Amino acid sequence: MDIATLSGQVFGYIPLGDIVLYFTPFNLFLFGGALLFTLLIALSNTETQVEARFGSLEDREVKVDIGEFKIRRFLAIVCGLATAGAMITGDLFNFTLFAALIGIVNLGLVAAVKMVDVLDSAFQYGIIAMISSLPLFGGAAIVLATTGTLSILELANSTVTPMVTFGSMLLLMGIAGETGVAPFYATKAEMFRTPGSPFLVIIHLSSLLVIVRAIEILLIINKPF
Amino acid sequence: MNLMANILLNVLIAFLVGSVLLGLYRKVVARVQSRPGPPIIQYLLHLLKFYIKESSFPKTAAMPFYIGIASILMVIWISAVIVGPVTQGSLLIIFGIYAIHKIVEHNAGSSSGSPYGKLSCVRAVYSAAAEVPLFAVLVIIYLKTGSMGISDIINYQAVNGPLLYAIPLAAAMYLVLIISKAQYTPFSITKGKDIVSGYETEHFGLLRGYLMISESIMWYMLLWIFLTVFLGPISPIAYIIGMVGITVGIAFISATSPLLNPNHSVILQIIFAIIGIVGSILMLNVL
Repeated sequence: MDIATLSGQVFGYIPLGDIVLYFTPFNLFLFGGALLFTLLIALSNTETQVEARFGSLEDREVKVDIGEFKIRRFLAIVCGLATAGAMITGDLFNFTLFAALIGIVNLGLVAAVKMVDVLDSAFQYGIIAMISSLPLFGGAAIVLATTGTLSILELANSTVTPMVTFGSMLLLMGIAGETGVAPFYATKAEMFRTPGSPFLVIIHLSSLLVIVRAIEILLIINKPF
Repeated sequence: MNLMANILLNVLIAFLVGSVLLGLYRKVVARVQSRPGPPIIQYLLHLLKFYIKESSFPKTAAMPFYIGIASILMVIWISAVIVGPVTQGSLLIIFGIYAIHKIVEHNAGSSSGSPYGKLSCVRAVYSAAAEVPLFAVLVIIYLKTGSMGISDIINYQAVNGPLLYAIPLAAAMYLVLIISKAQYTPFSITKGKDIVSGYETEHFGLLRGYLMISESIMWYMLLWIFLTVFLGPISPIAYIIGMVGITVGIAFISATSPLLNPNHSVILQIIFAIIGIVGSILMLNVL
């Protein structure tokens, strides 16, 4: 199993003890994309959402107040950096840590909105994210226990056993729950109705990019060839 | 050929061919509906017009996010041309590009403050669930060919014949994805007529030009990937014939079918995905 057949030519490595970062066009593109969006979020204001007022012809303007803006921007930047980290890491445990951090800050981003429906959504998402931390870390632990390593480069050369496949399935379940993608996406869907476009982008970005990276990692670990 | 010249040439081809195909698409839809329709180069003219129009920005927009997000769309599809026809890199990167496209589609709508854009944004999030087929198509191609590299997939088909015959359901799932990106088809809920132009409603002048140029390159790239990944090494003439054929076919679907509401659209795509995934896995095991 060759990483290059999945992600493109390996440009280089940075060995940090037993954690070795490797750079492919795929990792670099997603890492750069996540950082670009994070920078844009850090520099941006929020939009004013214009809504129709019920029973009259006037509009209603919904804005994000300054206190909420500050905390949501901070959480969005942390989420962006965690996403960038998950894109570039060469260690399975670090990947799960970044995924868990993304789950926590996404939950904060949803919960910072002072609306009952959104808080209900945050509550449901929080429960899913907490439950998902068990398969997330459990999956990585099973892979470690079976193969003796968490380095993705080493895992690319290790033997696939049923326990590794089982650990990978747990890992995928954990990632799906932490990032709130389908079938859990409904738990945070309410969030997208609120103003604060630059903060909403990072919720969506982190979910999709982490899933894309997870596919790469799981194919590397399980080596169908 | 020099790499930079190769990139410029391919981006220019993608832009021009994509624009003409989208013009052809509108023409075919109009003729099927017994209307004269616009000239085939109308999309191109329309696009160029926006580059010389005054740019204005809604006072409710999230700046500079509103401008940045439209510019990012153009950058990512130019990147797709580099990864695809120029370097024939990994399909996974193309999928990453598509994921970022979804995010841009979502936030171009919500960043303006317009309710139409916002509805398009909510639909973009909602429809992400229906893009499971794309994940599945990638994995099925990988399971069949043993590589995500486009050049490896082309070589595999040169030896073993087109993947279209080996994994037809995966090809069908990818075709559903292309249909969802075409205008006014049953699955194009993010730009349904009920929400004006969806996420593009509040983009004017140069920014609209960026969005339109991105869409033309995106259309070319979606068709290029289909033809390359499922038909293998084919000549430029075959690419042109294939792109025109698929565009005309989807235009017929668009002209003769209703616009589905978001719930029906997403559920229908998920049903197609389940049939495609289960069917493809069975075929992989049997063949």
